[in-house]
Amino acid sequence: MSASSRSEAQQRADDIRTFQAELDRLEREGVLTLGADQRRAVADHQRDLLATYARAFDIDRDAQSRQLSIGMRAASFLGALALAASVFFLFYQFWGLFPETAQVGILLVAAFGTFAATFVIQARDATGYFTKLAAMVAFACFVLNIAMLGQIFNITPSDKALLPWAAFALLLAYACDLRLLLAAGILCLITFISARTGTWSGMYWLHFGERPENFFPAAIALLFLPQLLDHRRFQGFAAIYRVFGLLSLFLPMLVLANWGQISYLDFNRTLIQGFYQVLGFVGTAAVIWLGTKRHWPEVVNTGLTFFVIFLYTKFYDWWWDIMPKYLFFFVIGLSAVLLLVVFKRLRASGTRAAGESSP
Amino acid sequence: MKWSRTHTLIAGLGLLALTNAVALVGAAYNRSGEPEAKLRLTQRELQTPYRWYGNRENSGLALSLIWRVLNEPSTETEIYNWRYAGTGGTPAWLDKAKMEALGFDTSAPAASSDLQGSIRYEKQLPREVLLVLEVDGPTYQRSLELAKQYVARAEAKLASSPGDKNLGTRVNNAREALEWETDRNSRLFVVDAGLEPVALRAKYPDATRYAIVRGQVRPEIFGRNSEKVRGFVSGLSIESINVPFALRDVFGSAAQLNDIDQRNKAPFETTVAFGKQLEPWITTAAKK
Repeated sequence: MSASSRSEAQQRADDIRTFQAELDRLEREGVLTLGADQRRAVADHQRDLLATYARAFDIDRDAQSRQLSIGMRAASFLGALALAASVFFLFYQFWGLFPETAQVGILLVAAFGTFAATFVIQARDATGYFTKLAAMVAFACFVLNIAMLGQIFNITPSDKALLPWAAFALLLAYACDLRLLLAAGILCLITFISARTGTWSGMYWLHFGERPENFFPAAIALLFLPQLLDHRRFQGFAAIYRVFGLLSLFLPMLVLANWGQISYLDFNRTLIQGFYQVLGFVGTAAVIWLGTKRHWPEVVNTGLTFFVIFLYTKFYDWWWDIMPKYLFFFVIGLSAVLLLVVFKRLRASGTRAAGESSP
Repeated sequence: MKWSRTHTLIAGLGLLALTNAVALVGAAYNRSGEPEAKLRLTQRELQTPYRWYGNRENSGLALSLIWRVLNEPSTETEIYNWRYAGTGGTPAWLDKAKMEALGFDTSAPAASSDLQGSIRYEKQLPREVLLVLEVDGPTYQRSLELAKQYVARAEAKLASSPGDKNLGTRVNNAREALEWETDRNSRLFVVDAGLEPVALRAKYPDATRYAIVRGQVRPEIFGRNSEKVRGFVSGLSIESINVPFALRDVFGSAAQLNDIDQRNKAPFETTVAFGKQLEPWITTAAKK
């Protein structure tokens, strides 16, 4: 089977390493012994695969190179952010020294040039780290391009600019397999959808953040999108959609659970807060259940984090003023123990169910 | 059809080209033909923004539009704020009927005894509407007149109690406010709002005194029991205007612009045009 992306190739290489280790163990324990021909055939096949992947995708072939890769990923992430900021400030430092035609020309050349450069670099960079740097700079140049055209020609600020930015970031993310650009694209999408939702009620788009419910349509879209798109070739992409979807769902709920007066709902503030508190608890519990059932660890973790925040916010509201501090923290500690017990049981029942369903 | 690198390249280049084309064609359309309005503004109405630490490296220059509203009932309390124009306001003409015409729901009773009603007003966020800017017109003359009346009243009160220190301070403040109003304050006032540019232009046909721009308005409740509804002009959609490279020298050197004592000292006169999309640009500028 051939891999079509670096993440797929890396996954296969990791599986091969795990398989070899387990095979050695089984042979030592006398459970399984492969014949010399079989052993050679497997070893040759795996060696060829690893060599092909190493040539095509520069995968990590052992634990040491994997450690170094983590360092390179961190450097690439920080470098991408720093270079994007550098491009932005470079233009700001000198743009006033040029006439308008030159300003527009520089912006166009920067946006088109960095996009083309990203493709050239991608063709030569099997690791993907330099492609990530180039893609992030290309995205920053495009954002700067449109924002500065707005400033040069005094164009009325509009949420519509977020749509091409989102499309460009997503295009680069899928073309170069870059999660950082995917996150940038998703953030632009969340802002655009929320701003549009806000304008339906008549408000000026820049005020969309003042009604947290505006984020709910974006949250629903992001939670459903990975179900509609095939992300097998893009490791971690579906998880990023789901995490941003849950953040867009539970962060506004958390705000509304504490400041009901900024809701669209035309009810008493306390009633709105109570409604969103209940919705927060039910929603996070449902998400934890769904994440466990579908084997989505990022969904379980995000749901759990918000469940705990909702719970401790309520504890604070109820007891911070009336309880001595030692007792308050003791109750928090007890609730953590209770949560541990509940999750231990959930884990045990999950393991039992998996055991029963296996043949 | 399998999505290839070539497809991505074409899609990316197409997206870049289309977005830039929309922005540039929009800007060209705005400036095409005869401008919708042309206002002569000076250093009183256009000011260089404060260069704070974060934007000190910005080599570009944009001038902030300093606009005001006239609210006659509270002129005396506003006299102390006259130096700080451009932060929004509640003009008398932006009453309940006007707010309703702008699309706000004013059906609920606003009195503070009706909590649900007042919450309904507080919950209505700013809407983007069309605002009419008037430069050096009747509203400015009225504002000048009010400042003169305020000085006269303060002087009359001091004359009846000559030794009163507070009244003496009040006279000095009123005279200073009049001096600012005569020589320094912006003469650019928001005088009306609407949703239809054609109707507003028909009402204010003088395109050298009135410009139509986009801005934001939100409802506000006031009165002893918060029983009255009015509107608050909270901002313009385009608050600052980029200075073209060719006119840059008129507004002083970079060092002058950064120096807080030198900033906005040099007098100048500009012509600001407002185009088909109601977006402004500076067409001429000269030192005075």
